[in-house]
Amino acid sequence: MDLDRTAAKRIRAPRQPSLGRTVLQHRTLLLMCTPAILFFFIFAYMPMPGAYIAFTNFQYNMGIYRSPWVGIKNFQFLFTSGQLGLLLKNTVLYNLAFIVLGNVVQLTFAILLNEVRNKGYKKTAQSIMFLPYFISDVLVSLLVYNLLNFDYGFISHLVRSTGGEMAKVYQNAGAWPFIIVLVNLWKSTGYGTVVYFAAITGMDSSMMEAAQIDGANAWQRIRYITLPTLKPTVIILFLFAIGGILKGNFGLFYNLVGNNSMLFKTTDIIETYVYRSMMNSFNFSQSSAVGLFQSVVGFFIVLGANAFVKHLDPDYALF
Amino acid sequence: MKKLFAVLLAMVMLLGIVPALAEIDTSEHVKIVYLVTGDKPTNRTDEVLAKINELLTEKINAELEFRWIEWTDWQTQYNLALATQNGDIDLIGTATDWLDAWPNSQKGAFLPLTEEMLQTYAPKTWESVSEAHWNLCRMNGQIYLMPEDNYAQWTNHGFMYRGDWAREAGLENGVHSWADLAVYFQYIKDNKPDVIPWDANGNGSSYSPQMAGGWQTSHTGNIAIEGFPVAIFYGESKDNPYTLSRYYLEGDELVNFAKEMKKWADAGYWRADVLNYTGDVAAEMEEGKTGAHQHHTQTWTGERTTMERKQPGSDLGFFYFGEEQANLISLNITHGAMAVAAQSRHPERALMVYDLMRNDPEIYHLMQYGFEGEMYTVDENGRFSRPDGFEDSVDGVSFNFWWGRNDNLEYKNAQLDWDAIDAMYARYDEVKIDYPYGQYIYDNSNVGVYMDNLSNVYNTYMPRIVFGMSDDPEALVAEFRQALQDAGIETVMSEVQSQLDAVYAQ
Repeated sequence: MDLDRTAAKRIRAPRQPSLGRTVLQHRTLLLMCTPAILFFFIFAYMPMPGAYIAFTNFQYNMGIYRSPWVGIKNFQFLFTSGQLGLLLKNTVLYNLAFIVLGNVVQLTFAILLNEVRNKGYKKTAQSIMFLPYFISDVLVSLLVYNLLNFDYGFISHLVRSTGGEMAKVYQNAGAWPFIIVLVNLWKSTGYGTVVYFAAITGMDSSMMEAAQIDGANAWQRIRYITLPTLKPTVIILFLFAIGGILKGNFGLFYNLVGNNSMLFKTTDIIETYVYRSMMNSFNFSQSSAVGLFQSVVGFFIVLGANAFVKHLDPDYALF
Repeated sequence: MKKLFAVLLAMVMLLGIVPALAEIDTSEHVKIVYLVTGDKPTNRTDEVLAKINELLTEKINAELEFRWIEWTDWQTQYNLALATQNGDIDLIGTATDWLDAWPNSQKGAFLPLTEEMLQTYAPKTWESVSEAHWNLCRMNGQIYLMPEDNYAQWTNHGFMYRGDWAREAGLENGVHSWADLAVYFQYIKDNKPDVIPWDANGNGSSYSPQMAGGWQTSHTGNIAIEGFPVAIFYGESKDNPYTLSRYYLEGDELVNFAKEMKKWADAGYWRADVLNYTGDVAAEMEEGKTGAHQHHTQTWTGERTTMERKQPGSDLGFFYFGEEQANLISLNITHGAMAVAAQSRHPERALMVYDLMRNDPEIYHLMQYGFEGEMYTVDENGRFSRPDGFEDSVDGVSFNFWWGRNDNLEYKNAQLDWDAIDAMYARYDEVKIDYPYGQYIYDNSNVGVYMDNLSNVYNTYMPRIVFGMSDDPEALVAEFRQALQDAGIETVMSEVQSQLDAVYAQ
């Protein structure tokens, strides 16, 4: 790896080629990037001026830019609610749990899969793990309900038939952080595993072979080759994820918890709160204000995290 | 004869109808898009629409097209369609109580309709709606809505219950109070092991305003004021309607409600996980798996016949909220109304289409019943029947035209139990009063921030109160009231009171 880096530096060193020359030289790569660039341009950059709506009293017949300007009035809602502390705490803690636990589990599974030699088993396991990713949150919530509900749930039946006493899960806020994290893991592990597995497959196999010849056992190969090679991938995925730390997965939370206010203490996140408060008033400006707030905070968190990574090791930073 | 004809023609011209029509340029063929709530029909609607479009093309060189707002997530989709309109919709079905007609007018979703426009392009509608009724459709002096004001229906909420089981439970005359309802539920609990007395699907939050308001109107004289994002604004009584009630802030009645519902929850009248249950209560009732369904009178009129077919002898009755106090308000005429989209490219033609939908017998009957002879027949009493084996989802027609139904053209459904329905309506007519707040339009601009937080408080606590989900209902109500205070209820109350005073000051 160190060799690669110095080699790269040596090539870059002489003189900067002109922009036109760079474009011409990398035309194939650039062409391949175009769909992604277009995607982000159209769906992320073009709508950005529309964030202006957060500062207006939006009138349908005037459009976003001609609606009357009201300054930061729309931002007051979140701050006067008295709930902001709880909402931030829930949102951030859930996301941290998702990111940290999610990555650890995905990484573990990817490495384990890599060690499996039976191709058929490997493929089957991957597909089965991937499957939950495609199940909609609505269905997931039904599955969970049918497992856990007190009167007729599957688990309730099991517990009762063995003479136990079923807890009223849907009235017990304490249980839900575990349920939600578990469900999220169940849904996302397959997907993340494939990402890491692809990174492992892309590793230079000569390093592995060399290690094998030198007599490194499986554990040592994982510890000293696989994990260090995956470090950049882990860091990049982490940096991407951390930007969304204030954004909750509305679909998951809303479907699992719904309007069951007995669980709000541990399950209410910014999105569900905003939805509940505004589902009757359809205030686009106010909800955009909340979204903008989340995005701006997320943006600075990414900058901060990136700076921190850069401070540790410039090569792993995003920019 | 010729003279008579000339005189007649002159009279007609004097009435202004011929000149008005003559001036309208309909040379361009236009498509009028009609935004309507409901699932896209799978029945013969398209066939009927094609026929209607032939007629519309012939009469005014226009055709009608649907834009359906499906029931899944309809509130969001509906308001989004209004907000993002760019000339893609022309006619909008709306309502001041369940489809936010006034907030949407304030946000500029609808085109203000001048009297000249209505007189010129929707003359029959203009004539048929009284001045007093037009005045209820004005905001800041401008007309925004064309009301469904000539259609008798009741959409007051209550509980449907089985008359046969009520009699078994010793309620000879049926259920007529919350106390009777408790007796009825307890009887089912004790005697029908496979039936959940009321298998409510509490996942939708819609039960909160219905149940809480239902208890309130049954135990006080309070009258609900429509058009608020949170259902906690009530007038004191019919003798003092313009003073806001403090029911949700103080007094014992809400506590009594919470205690009673706690009792019901503990007794198992609904499932323990009601707040997360999503089932179809009406379907369960039709299968005999639950004993009650909470909805409104209009639903009951149809459900009674369905139940008689699926559960013979069930004699489905209806206990209406407010019955104990004879506290019943007539339906506001803007429970259904049509508006023209603010960005419509052809507002004139849209009005003309609406005028025909509402007043032209041929188009109206096609829209409401389909092809005569093939899809329905009318008997000598002016009641319509469907042929045997008629399945609405396959053979029917669905225009969901709830924004201008017209009793002059309506046929009553011969298959409904009109003896029971008319008896119910007669009881209503004895006690009803007119909706007292027709002139009042809530203005959100000063207290919107508070209102959203109140909305959250209500949606947080009310489902728990309604379904008795607490160890101590009294403490839960106290907590709810404190949260309302913290969210600024007093500020909002005084703002609403002053808005009411501004409209109704003597």
